[in-house]
Amino acid sequence: MNFLEYLSVAFEALRANRLRAALTMLGVVIGVAAVILLVSLGTGTKNYVERQFAGLGSNILIITPGKVETRGGPPMVGPARHKLTMSDSNILQKKGYLFGGVAPVVFGSAEVRLSGRTRNVSVLGVTPAFSEVRNLRVEIGAFLTEADVEAKRRVCVIGRTVRKELFGNANALGQIVKLNGARFRVVGIMENKGVSLGVDIDDIVFVPVRTAQDLFDLDSLFEILISVRNMNDIESGKAMAKSIMFHAHNRHEDFTVTDQRAILSSLFTILDTLTYVLGGIAGISLLVGGIGIMNIMLVTVKERTNEIGIRKAVGARNIDILLQFLFEATTLSAAGGLIGLVVGAAGAGALRWAFPKMPIEVPLWAVLLSFTFSLFVGIFFGVYPARKAAAMNPIEALRYE
Amino acid sequence: MSENTDPLLRLSKVTKHYETGGQSVTGLEEVDLDVNPGDFLAVMGPSGSGKSTLMNILGCLDVPTSGSYTIKGTNVATLSTDELARLRNREIGFVFQVFHLLPRASARKNVELPLLYAGVPRDDRARLAEEALATVGLSDRSRHLSNELSGGQRQRVAIARALVNHPSLLLADEPTGNLDSKTGEEVMAILSRLNGEGVTVVLVTHDPLIARRAHKIVYIVDGRMVTEAEFREKRG
Ligand SMILES: Nc1ncnc2c1ncn2[C@@H]1O[C@H](COP(=O)(O)OP(=O)(O)OP(=O)(O)O)[C@@H](O)[C@H]1O
Ligand SMILES: [Mg+2]
Repeated sequence: MNFLEYLSVAFEALRANRLRAALTMLGVVIGVAAVILLVSLGTGTKNYVERQFAGLGSNILIITPGKVETRGGPPMVGPARHKLTMSDSNILQKKGYLFGGVAPVVFGSAEVRLSGRTRNVSVLGVTPAFSEVRNLRVEIGAFLTEADVEAKRRVCVIGRTVRKELFGNANALGQIVKLNGARFRVVGIMENKGVSLGVDIDDIVFVPVRTAQDLFDLDSLFEILISVRNMNDIESGKAMAKSIMFHAHNRHEDFTVTDQRAILSSLFTILDTLTYVLGGIAGISLLVGGIGIMNIMLVTVKERTNEIGIRKAVGARNIDILLQFLFEATTLSAAGGLIGLVVGAAGAGALRWAFPKMPIEVPLWAVLLSFTFSLFVGIFFGVYPARKAAAMNPIEALRYE
Repeated sequence: MSENTDPLLRLSKVTKHYETGGQSVTGLEEVDLDVNPGDFLAVMGPSGSGKSTLMNILGCLDVPTSGSYTIKGTNVATLSTDELARLRNREIGFVFQVFHLLPRASARKNVELPLLYAGVPRDDRARLAEEALATVGLSDRSRHLSNELSGGQRQRVAIARALVNHPSLLLADEPTGNLDSKTGEEVMAILSRLNGEGVTVVLVTHDPLIARRAHKIVYIVDGRMVTEAEFREKRG
């Protein structure tokens, strides 16, 4: 007997009991569909978060004042003996040959006013390097220049939301706005970036960093962003930033260098784990479906004892009987698996159609894995009933009514 | 050559006891029997005397409690389950007293069954099964499900199944029991013809007229082989 003949014997048996076969399959259908749906949701969420972070660039180092213990125990911020200053930024720029751009940042919030209209916005004091490091571009006009920074000019670049709120459809370029009462000339308007990580990039006003220090009466920086020129140098870039800062701060490690990728990768690990946990829970329902198959196969074997006796009497070997029932169980689970794939994929499509914002992506690995798993579930839970059938004594099986 | 001197089948001191509910029932008691190649043997005996028990042992479906059964000099007890399956498939055709057909399969599918396990390709199976059904006069019923057939028709399907794989030994447990005398005659003609072609036939029957068609008759009473005289005496 070849593969196809075992298969056709299995099909005939299943056809004889269609409703029972369908109900048994249902367990596997639900299991596979659940795996596909939940894993798709998990993967979609991860990809969504990944896209949100993509604009930040994964080659970025962030230097913040104070020492944060990241290893073991709750995070501790030690006292900063020295604040971050413009001279730190300049030294990093001068000595850090691995760095593409060094962007000192001052952060504050201010009231921006234009002839009666006011709005509270975040103000970032930056240098020209910021636009390059954070991958943000000007749409109209120009970004802040080195000369603006050096001369502490009162110029600003505004985000799209700020522009819309203050100017409506009127021309903004070259106009004067007031930031906390001081007059600033608008020299540029940023291109549309939208919300990223809950921060509305479009609702920000950029001013030269030294101007911002004056505005907020600061002599320090909020953070320094560094882009490492080559992605592969991120580790050595980190070490370089540390060593330059260490010497600049008189051998005190009172700052923290964070590697954007490290934060992201731990977040992704969490999301991956979440996906696997969801898939695993759904996988359990697949196992339950397998137990359903085993249950029905045991009943089937019992019911068909006489048939087994007849087959053995006319020359079926034990292996023939074993394979016959194993093929039946596996056909059930494989068919259930296939239907489950279709149901799961259709469900994912329907969800995306109904809730366009819901992040759902059906990954190929989940499709292959859940189908293979359903196949193995059938084999695994089919073996015991099939062995029982194969081990029957021919004359006793024939006598069984 | 030992094959020429050895019988095809030899039972020596074969005893079969059934254990049921703590008590032992005798099926066969110390039966000695030789069947030579080409024999046509009839087995007679009252109901419950052990005829079917004997046939099951001859057909390698059941094993004796004690004593030995050899086929062509090979002790059946030494064969593996796969070897026994092969023997049942290639060498032995068995017609059961209660037919034992697959109820939801067509007559032809039932007849094809031994060919399936003999590894005969699908098309040949269908052809051979149709031929066997024609032999027993059931060509027009080949597509009917076996549970849609009459008792006599089922009996003939069972015979077709037994002879489809051209066995060298045909065991028939009351093959005419459900048939009218005319159809019974046809079945006996088939068995006689097969025997004429060299097939060894062992037949169980209650009917002395049927038994007379065989070359040799053995009698069983209460699990023991007896002479014809003893048999008549016991029957009274
Ligand atoms: N599986 C079994 N379990 C217990 N006892 C059995 C079993 N099979 C047969 N017997 C007993 O063995 C004896 C012989 O039975 P067997 O079926 O061989 O009789 P038989 O000669 O074929 O009878 P019949 O002509 O009615 O078919 C009977 O007493 C029967 O009750
Ligand atoms: Mg009997």
